[in-house]
Amino acid sequence: MKTRTPWQVTRSVWYALFMREAVARTMADRMAWFWMIAEPVAVIAIMVAIRSVVSGGRHIAGADFVPWLITGLLGFFLFRENMMRSLGAVESNKGLFAYRQVKTVDPVLVRCFLEGMLKTFIFLLFIATGILLDAGLTPANPMAALFDWISLWVLGLGVGLTLSAASSLVPEIGRLVRIITLPLLIISGVIIPLNYLPHDFQQYVLWNPIVHGLEHMRESFFPEYRSLDGVSLTYLWFWALSLTSLGLILHLRFEMRLKTQ
Amino acid sequence: MIRITNLYKRYHNHHGSDWVLRDINLEIPANVSVGLVGRNGAGKSTLLRLIGGMDNPDRGAISRDCRVSWPIGLSGGFQSAMTGRQNVKFVARIHGGERNLREVIERVEEFAEIGAAFDEPVRTYSSGMRARLAFGLSLAFDFDVYLSDEATAVGDRMFKLKASKAFRDRVGKCSLIMVSHSEGILRELCQAGIWLHQGNAIWFDDINDAINAYHGSSGAGTKTK
Repeated sequence: MKTRTPWQVTRSVWYALFMREAVARTMADRMAWFWMIAEPVAVIAIMVAIRSVVSGGRHIAGADFVPWLITGLLGFFLFRENMMRSLGAVESNKGLFAYRQVKTVDPVLVRCFLEGMLKTFIFLLFIATGILLDAGLTPANPMAALFDWISLWVLGLGVGLTLSAASSLVPEIGRLVRIITLPLLIISGVIIPLNYLPHDFQQYVLWNPIVHGLEHMRESFFPEYRSLDGVSLTYLWFWALSLTSLGLILHLRFEMRLKTQ
Repeated sequence: MIRITNLYKRYHNHHGSDWVLRDINLEIPANVSVGLVGRNGAGKSTLLRLIGGMDNPDRGAISRDCRVSWPIGLSGGFQSAMTGRQNVKFVARIHGGERNLREVIERVEEFAEIGAAFDEPVRTYSSGMRARLAFGLSLAFDFDVYLSDEATAVGDRMFKLKASKAFRDRVGKCSLIMVSHSEGILRELCQAGIWLHQGNAIWFDDINDAINAYHGSSGAGTKTK
């Protein structure tokens, strides 16, 4: 019998893992599909409610609050889900490493791909609803918005690859990451516009690459929108590519330890 | 044929790590079934995992010019939240069996004989049912060498008969490398034996000699039974 090339083996592993993850993600509990859409809707509804009570008068220059919030939240969710789903990817697929064809990166890559597809679908659903309701959620520059979306996804993939390896080697890292997700939501300017911050703080906020992705995407959506000075996708891509490389290196170097421990 | 040259293996831990396997040199010929014997912790499962390519040796090399299965055992190899059928599908896909997926599933279902449990999550299985599924699954692919790590230990009488029949039917086409503490099944299925003792592997052309050597080392007290 002919042996398969490494690429053919990898492809069949990805296909098998994808089918498995897709079923697990969408069919695991009843209403999984419903929650996938209802969860962001509920979060947005709560945020809008809080905002209208707490700080009603303020508005965002160049964009309506609700579309502004939706782009930020969904962009952030795309990043966050890539990160969080990857954290458990190695651990929960441990049984499958018995087959030498499955490498430790495979479940991480597949989960990120699946998450990207699901979140893109949900975002398109939101945009379509926005068009029907005339809510101003149509990207002014669709190609740029698409690229920003992909940039955020790659950033999430990089963080996911690195953390999936790191948290399996040092379990405390996973705990720490779960703690910082909520603060991350706030300092990434998802809910509160960063323009309100004093200029002295803004330069520190801009260390966070997620801010660059979210703000750039909002600029692509709302042509009038004025973001912070110094928002640049190049900075985000430095992070994304460095973390992706670091993650791949970690998976390569510690493959056996990730598989066994 | 599987050739092991100058193989060293140890596991790293916090309090120094001694070699589990030290300078192993073996040649396992094609079509000879081999039983691995040795006390707990002697490195039987480690050697099996190394042969199966699940782990890398610290030094030395293993070359295999035949298709080797994954180690069929009680633990691992299954995703416990997925049903038996989904697990079978997954493994078939990994091994590039997308085209004859249905055939593979039928073969496994037929061999495992676990009835409706085939569509229940693997975590609900008893260890015997797990072993049946694992064994059936590995038999659905045409490997040259099957690695078995106590896979038959928990099976009932019918299953053991069935497993040994499956291998007798395949004599000449495939062989078996198995770890087991049940000497009956080793004597029945294997011709040659490897005794793992203090990090060394000693080859015996006859499985009975390997078992006797193992008994000799473990003292007269245990030999009486």
